[in-house]
Amino acid sequence: MIREYDVAIIGGGPAGICAAIAAGKNGLKTLLIEERTFLGGQLIKQTHRFFGSEEEHAGTRGIHIAQELKDQLESLSTIDIMTSTTALGYYEDGMLTALHDEKMIKIKPKSMIIATGAFERFLPFENNDLPGIFGAGAVQTLMNIYGIKPADKVLMIGSGNIGLIVSYQLIQAGVQVIGVVEAAAKIGGYLVHASKLRRLGVPILTRHTIKKAVGSEKVEGAVICQLNENWQEIEGTQRQLDCDAICLAVGLTPLSDILSQMGCETTYIGELGGIVPKRTADLETTKPGVFVAGDLAGIEEASAAMLEGELAGLNAVKYVNADERVNDRIHHLKDELMGLRSGPVGEKIRYGLAQLYEESVITKEKIQKHQHDITQLAFTGVPSQENIDEKLPDVQRRLKPYAVIECFQEIPCNPCVASCPFGAIYIPKDDINCPPVVDFEKCTGCRSCISGCPGLAIFVEQYHPQTGTGTISIPYEQLNRPEKGERVDLFGRNGQPLGSGLVTTVLYGQKQDKTAVITVETDIKLVNQVRSIKPLENGKRVVR
Amino acid sequence: MRIREHPILDFERGEQIHFSFNGKSVEAYKGETIAAALHAAGIWHYSESDVLKRPRGLFCAIGHCSSCLMCVNGVPNTRICVTDVVDGMIVESKTGGETE
Repeated sequence: MIREYDVAIIGGGPAGICAAIAAGKNGLKTLLIEERTFLGGQLIKQTHRFFGSEEEHAGTRGIHIAQELKDQLESLSTIDIMTSTTALGYYEDGMLTALHDEKMIKIKPKSMIIATGAFERFLPFENNDLPGIFGAGAVQTLMNIYGIKPADKVLMIGSGNIGLIVSYQLIQAGVQVIGVVEAAAKIGGYLVHASKLRRLGVPILTRHTIKKAVGSEKVEGAVICQLNENWQEIEGTQRQLDCDAICLAVGLTPLSDILSQMGCETTYIGELGGIVPKRTADLETTKPGVFVAGDLAGIEEASAAMLEGELAGLNAVKYVNADERVNDRIHHLKDELMGLRSGPVGEKIRYGLAQLYEESVITKEKIQKHQHDITQLAFTGVPSQENIDEKLPDVQRRLKPYAVIECFQEIPCNPCVASCPFGAIYIPKDDINCPPVVDFEKCTGCRSCISGCPGLAIFVEQYHPQTGTGTISIPYEQLNRPEKGERVDLFGRNGQPLGSGLVTTVLYGQKQDKTAVITVETDIKLVNQVRSIKPLENGKRVVR
Repeated sequence: MRIREHPILDFERGEQIHFSFNGKSVEAYKGETIAAALHAAGIWHYSESDVLKRPRGLFCAIGHCSSCLMCVNGVPNTRICVTDVVDGMIVESKTGGETE
């Protein structure tokens, strides 16, 4: 039996699902093929709130986005879903074959969308094949899908977003992260993620690399060393660290095998992660009617993968039905993608895309330059005092509660704007890459914005000079959530201990969605210093 | 080790089942992969490389790296990181030469 479809989509991750929804909604008879037993791809492992534009799921945890998308998929009768199905090949006669339940099935689609995603890169070093050396995705699968503690003490290699996010998630799962090793001089991922780790006491070792894994049956430690400007080892800097696992987060490579089999032209573009399909701005490959989306088309954030999925789906609609009604939405999606990529963190992807088609080139004027020097932050994950001072209101205003947003890097993100019930947070120039600004005239210090920030970078402070005290409200996403009246240990931006404080309120409702907002009272001198709390170190939890 | 408490996630585990790993009975939950169940039981060493007999374990957990290949119910080279565990399953270290 040959199954006929308007569009067959390979890959049930964020890009594939969004492609299927777009195609199915517009009446295409759609087939979605997924190799695993479940849909969602990497989305279902993402416990953090997404960056990006508020209208495109930003501020929502990846796991919840996955559920929303799956619900939408299942509500569309035009879509057939085949999980546990491996696409095998696509042939000259327009036949796609797949393996399901140990049987080969034949599919004849009028168009195709390939969204197979990516897989993790490996790193050469001595003993790198020992059990206990895991890809970051594997660690996420174990702890966030199956609820299994991956290890006790982990050394993370790579400070891109994956390395930083997985390190934070490891701590949430009760694992100790002994450090993040980064060969470059600067931290690779979003700096708010780096700051989250630093305030929990995790060192980020830039200009360092791993020399070898220690152990014979499994990992028992790691030898690291420092690198000079030419990426060469500095003699005498080798040291051995004690750990039972080494997690590699050194980048992703597109899974483009099936495209080569299909005869779609591919090319090597380092900025996009390796061998990628040649494709137009409308995501069409060199084979008419075959589209690509997501990490396969170039390694990027999941927010971009979802937009690309929809774009590919709509272009398939246009290809199959010559339906021009989708044009407006196509233009909108391209604008959104350009917005996400227009800032400094999108420079690599812009450069990569410019090698494929001209449309990606954004005029120089649109690219913002940092207004402020964030070098220290980029090297260490801890902002400079100058950076911090710029975010504070004048001394008089500090007597009433105010929000301080420690978001200094230009990254595409805006959910804080919508989270403020008083319209006190705005993004200058309407550019999603601009860091947000607080209007202290309008801010009431209500704390609504704290739990919604994907970077956990918002705090509310208040000074009480008459009593020599002050209060700080901070986001809390770890186990052993402190209660009102409890004394807690306080820590600063680089995890340094700052004494103790008293918990005065805990917000932990539906609105906070498991990111508790905890207010502590302490010495007035510490108000702008405290950025993290833990239940008292000596173990005794004292509730007054 | 299984995570009992998590600040963000709740884990719903399926029915408890058992399977055999190199003759030893291992506890698992329906709906998890063989690799996940082994990891929960503290088993990281799955088999040996063909030539140098180096220990092999989990790496990518998405079925792409071939590090986790084992013999499952007599089928060699099974990717245990993407194969769901079934009650009574027999999982064995590959004995070498299977990939030839």
